[in-house]
Amino acid sequence: MTYVANIPEEDMLRARFYGLLARVLAAPMSAETLTFVRGLQGDDTEMGRALATFASLAQRATKTGAEEEYSELFFGMGAGGELGPYASRYLTGFVYEKPLADLRETMAEFGIAAADGLREPEDHIAFLCEVMHGLITGRFGKPVGLDGQRSFFKKHIQPWGTRFFEDVERAKAAVLYMPVGTIGKLLIAIEAEAFEMAA
Amino acid sequence: MKDRKETTPLRRREFLRVAGLASGALGAAAVAGAPDAAKAAAAPDGRKTSGYRETDHVKTYYRLAR
Repeated sequence: MTYVANIPEEDMLRARFYGLLARVLAAPMSAETLTFVRGLQGDDTEMGRALATFASLAQRATKTGAEEEYSELFFGMGAGGELGPYASRYLTGFVYEKPLADLRETMAEFGIAAADGLREPEDHIAFLCEVMHGLITGRFGKPVGLDGQRSFFKKHIQPWGTRFFEDVERAKAAVLYMPVGTIGKLLIAIEAEAFEMAA
Repeated sequence: MKDRKETTPLRRREFLRVAGLASGALGAAAVAGAPDAAKAAAAPDGRKTSGYRETDHVKTYYRLAR
């Protein structure tokens, strides 16, 4: 626990937002995840309201409904999902393109690998959020520090993340996931500005 | 410039708080539930990187944080 305790509170908060996004975007929500989301609370800031909206929508959602919405939104790769949550897809129009190759290069530099059995290309938004979470908390070794986090964020998330999350916000199929778009969009804006301050 | 160096981390922290990251009861469970799609890579010679050994601690942390 000690090295986790060394991470400043603000950075743990950032990590938790990335963790939340990774959790709800990686796969259809499990019963456990749905229960967790139902318990989220938020204050009267824009981010707080998005969290509270997500919670109240989740309270009314069923697990099956949540799964169906996830499929309609994100099961791309030819399966007809409304959005393709991959960096390559957003930046080039195709999957398995240069952004994925660039990401693999960065991951090799940081000493991070995809877990065995990962079937999606790694430039999936949930994977990128999980990597940010790990870079902050030191899950892959020592925390990489702000410079490493900034470089990963600027190179692999910032160029397309805002557009992706805005698309989630206004996607036809998005009801439960609408506030996820808002949360992601706000997190990216906050991160971008905070990284500039530390530069 | 020395001043700037000392104050920017504080400004950043303060900004992160007021910008809304402290806006919700986002418990440690958000961390606990993060999927396991990424992991520390093994070094090319097959030896695990130093990072890899820490995953047990991390698992413990996740368990305790629930």
